[in-house]
Amino acid sequence: MTSTFVIDQLKRNKINDLLEKGQRYDGRRFDEPRPLVIETGVIPKADGSARVRLGDTEVVTGIKIQPDRPFPDMGDKGIFICTAEILPLAHPTAEPGPPGEDVIELARVVDRGIRESGMVDLSQLVLEKDKTVIGIFADNSVTDHDGNLFDACSCASTAAILTCKIPKWEMINDKPTLVEGQKSDPPITTIPVAVTMARIGDYILVDPNADEWACMDARITITTNSNGNICALQKGGDDGFTPEQIIQCSEIAISVGAKIRQKIEQLRQGR
Amino acid sequence: MGDNKRRFVIPGEVITTGPYRPEQNVILEGKKIIATKVGISEIYDDSVKVIPLTGKYIPKSEDLVIGKIISHSSLSWEADINSCYVGMLPGSDVFGRNFQPDTDEMTSKLKKGDLIAARIVNFDRSRDPLITIADRELGKIDSGELVKISPSKVPRLIGKQGTMIQAIEMATHATITIGQNGLVVVACENPDGLLKAKKAIQMIDEQAHMANLTDKVKAMLESNSV
Repeated sequence: MTSTFVIDQLKRNKINDLLEKGQRYDGRRFDEPRPLVIETGVIPKADGSARVRLGDTEVVTGIKIQPDRPFPDMGDKGIFICTAEILPLAHPTAEPGPPGEDVIELARVVDRGIRESGMVDLSQLVLEKDKTVIGIFADNSVTDHDGNLFDACSCASTAAILTCKIPKWEMINDKPTLVEGQKSDPPITTIPVAVTMARIGDYILVDPNADEWACMDARITITTNSNGNICALQKGGDDGFTPEQIIQCSEIAISVGAKIRQKIEQLRQGR
Repeated sequence: MGDNKRRFVIPGEVITTGPYRPEQNVILEGKKIIATKVGISEIYDDSVKVIPLTGKYIPKSEDLVIGKIISHSSLSWEADINSCYVGMLPGSDVFGRNFQPDTDEMTSKLKKGDLIAARIVNFDRSRDPLITIADRELGKIDSGELVKISPSKVPRLIGKQGTMIQAIEMATHATITIGQNGLVVVACENPDGLLKAKKAIQMIDEQAHMANLTDKVKAMLESNSV
């Protein structure tokens, strides 16, 4: 849907002019993300939930946890699946219907960041090997679209998983049976943080808003774990990055990611 | 017009009964004149209308609008005119009568993302509005900044006989092009003047329902000009 958003030429020129003076259209520094607000437990009926506001971008994530059959090749591991949807109320150009390419990419980038970081120790979510495991399903709904859905969805999913409660099941007569009233914290090993950067000309901008998103040449989303190691990366856009720019982006992703991680960590302490 | 004649109405509300002519956003049912939009009702000597508080722009013939080119075919451009309808700008309007779709390159004149000042030529709700840029003061906009306000507040921005907009232009030395569709282009050589003009326009958008708005805007423009 974002592909149908056309930015007017005057604003594009203005953004480019300002960049040459070392400024951004909304007054931020190049490596400064927009203000991030995380609320958790916003959906009482979900097993975990979070609402994240990143500037004017807003995402609500709900977590559903239920027993399921494992993937055939991973019988000794639980399931984690992350989806994303842009609701029609999020933006004038968003329409209901099957997801477009960019929404599918959004879900996959968020999913990959969390999966490859090993945030949740899936091996602890097995009820019976090769038969029944616990599945964690994170559904992201974008309710306001002002660019950089990657970071907002990633942060919302991470926060929701971090604060979710896993119900207890026991295998009785080969069937998983819910044990009422017993819930446990998820087996968290690390906290992944995605940082998306846009390249406009020779400038690298952290957390591009919708206007910057519409006139960028290329973008890169780098997910880091709690140790500051890169665990997932996605490059998008028509153009490319030089090797030096990739290294620069990695360093930004680590330093900016560390600050965002602190914010997410606080949720865990307040749990 | 007395103060008691002006009030806040919601759709379905009976504004008055009597020998009045229904104008914008009201319908006549029997003898009752009923509002169809949320807004302020106004009763004149012989007519009743509702000034909406909010709403999309509905094109009207002869309106000046600001449009953004969003795509084109070999025959015409499509412009986003901040409405539920798309403005159609035929190629012959720009290339002239000798327009040849097979040889004339549409993007050589107007590209995606270009802003235009256009006039609505024709609109009847069954087809997309036809627009033109073939006139003085119409055409591609090369400089300035786009500000978006609610289309229902455009008359307030202009003010009575253009007093409001003149006040802003005088104080900031900016050139302001107002589209009836709520898109406004502000051009000003001086960055401070540009900022101030934008602030004034946004202030009018937010406080259009308040009384003494002209005075407030004037006060704001003068206070910062020191």
